[in-house]
Parts: sequence; structure tokens; C-alpha cells
Amino acid sequence: MRAPHISRFAFAGAVLLAAGCGKKDDAADVIPPPPAATVAFRVTSVDLGKSITADKMIANATDDFAPGDTVYVSVATEGTSPGAAIKARFTFQDGQVVEESTQTVTPTGPARTEFHIVKPSGWPEGKYKVEITVDGALAGSKDFEVKRG
Amino acid sequence: MAADKKVPDFSDVRSGSSSTAPRSTPAPASRRTYTVVAGDSLSKIAKRTYGDANRWRAIYDLNKDIIKNPDLIHPGQVLTLPDA
Repeated sequence: MRAPHISRFAFAGAVLLAAGCGKKDDAADVIPPPPAATVAFRVTSVDLGKSITADKMIANATDDFAPGDTVYVSVATEGTSPGAAIKARFTFQDGQVVEESTQTVTPTGPARTEFHIVKPSGWPEGKYKVEITVDGALAGSKDFEVKRG
Repeated sequence: MAADKKVPDFSDVRSGSSSTAPRSTPAPASRRTYTVVAGDSLSKIAKRTYGDANRWRAIYDLNKDIIKNPDLIHPGQVLTLPDA
């Protein structure tokens, strides 16, 4: 009567083995949470105006300026970057460079970067343009005009 | 005539910028070092490095923590050299 005894042990072992395998399968079903999605850094808007708020937004948007105005450009961006060089290039009429300014930022989400220019002796009347580049690639532009009031 | 066209002068333009995003801080420039050998003096190192012996004081100022007497430097001392 030894054989039935052995088979009882064998049966118990098989049950334990199956239970163990079942547990392993359950663990494999657990899907780890995906890493936080990173949004590619990009310019979402370029705004012009005569003044700016504390959070770098244009307070009164316009593309018409007077010779004595300070010209503000606010660049809205989204996404993250370990170091993005945002450059504003202001030109006059047929391309004469008025001013170039660069901010290198390390954004971790939506952000605003402002650039401003002022000319104490007054802006010559005419058409101007500001081009925004990110790491050398054109990301947006705005035309504006200076007129005597 | 194109020659008569007046080109505006923008030399007095002032500019500024700021951002709500953190600014990138440039990595600190790596400084050159020099290991003192027998016969060296600060003025000799300055002359050899910058072509100007009078720059010994800039080397001294940057290495005051290891140079007690500017007339006495020792072989094996590693000096940090100021930017040119």
C-alpha cells in the first residue's frame, strides 16, 4: 500500500506547482506605468505689444508703434528642453538688422519668454519684422510698423 | 539714387529679455593647470604662458591657497592658470 501514499504527495506537489505558476502569471500581467510623456519643445505663439505683464504676457497687443515706444515680443512655448536657444531678430524695412537677442532656457512645461527693444532717439518710421528662431530654426515671425501718431 | 538713400542708425538700440522658464547656466569653463618644474618662477610661467611676465600676479592671486610666498614655488605644485 505504498503506491497510493506516493501518489498523494505527487498530487499535492503538482497542486503547489500549479499555484506557483499561477502566481507568476498574475505578476506578469501587471503592466508598469508608462514613463511621464515628454512634449517636444516648440513655439506656440508670438505676440507683440507695448507693455508686458509679470508673467511675460503682452498686456496690450498691437503691431502699430510710435517712435518712442518700447517694442515687446512675447514668445509662448510648450514642452521641455535641456537647453533651447530662443533668439529674436529685429529687422527694418529691407532687412537691416536692428537688434538680435538670445535667451537660452531649460523649460519643463509651458513658458513665456519676452524680448524688448527701445531706441532712446526714436524709431525711424517704417516697417519692421521680428523673427523668432529656436536653436537656429525659424519658429515664428511678426511684422510691425512704426508711425508718428 | 540708391547712394542717396539714408540708412537709419540703430546703434543706440537697447534690448533686454527674460523668461518664465529657468535660464540655462553655461558649464563652467575648464581651467588650465600647470605643474611646476625645477627652475620655474611665477614670472617665468607667466612669460611662457601669456607672453607677459607681469601676469605672475594673476597666477599668484588664483593660487594663494597653495603659494605662501610668490618668490618660492616648488616642483610638483599644480597651479591653476587664469584665462588668457
